[in-house]
Amino acid sequence: MAELLLSVHVLAAILAIGPVAVAASLFPRHAREPGAGAALLHRVCRVYAVVGITVPVFGFATAAQLGVLGDAWLLTSIALTAAAAAVLAFAILPTQRRLLAAPGDTGRLAMATGIFNLLWAVVVVLMIVRPGSTTGA
Amino acid sequence: MRALRIAAAAEAATLAILLINLATVHLPAISGLCGPLHGTAYLATIALAWPAGPAARWRAAIPGIGGLLALRRPAHSGR
Repeated sequence: MAELLLSVHVLAAILAIGPVAVAASLFPRHAREPGAGAALLHRVCRVYAVVGITVPVFGFATAAQLGVLGDAWLLTSIALTAAAAAVLAFAILPTQRRLLAAPGDTGRLAMATGIFNLLWAVVVVLMIVRPGSTTGA
Repeated sequence: MRALRIAAAAEAATLAILLINLATVHLPAISGLCGPLHGTAYLATIALAWPAGPAARWRAAIPGIGGLLALRRPAHSGR
């Protein structure tokens, strides 16, 4: 069961976080020029953000099966993931929506997007290395 | 909203599977897989109902059938 849950967790992470990372990174440049590109990129971010709910849900399920819910690397990962979700939901998506309606300066959006990408990248490394655990790679 | 319809259906269907499993054979494999799926569907209905306003939001938050309730909300009333 743990293998299945972990497989779903990793597959969902690749399929849901990947598109958001790419589309959100491309958005600022396309928001500055006219055309349908920015709207599609925003739509990808919005839809795949909802799909991304699967990732933490199956993550918790996997961790419960493996009995690692109290481990420091996982607690840190959970906190960082929550922060990334907050950045996506409260900074990136609303700002993208606003810029689609009224084009303006994209600097802060690009910064928020970079922070989002950094957060999930750190989580990936933590989950591979698992500092403080005997089960890390 | 097609996505909300899919999530609401998944929420109700996975709950049905979980309860039937519980009442009959109670296989841990079914609980272990459908449990997270039900949880994902529940959170997805809340996320998908969010833009539709407070009336849809609290309906979606009701466990089990929340997604279906959010779909059925009155179209142009204040609540």
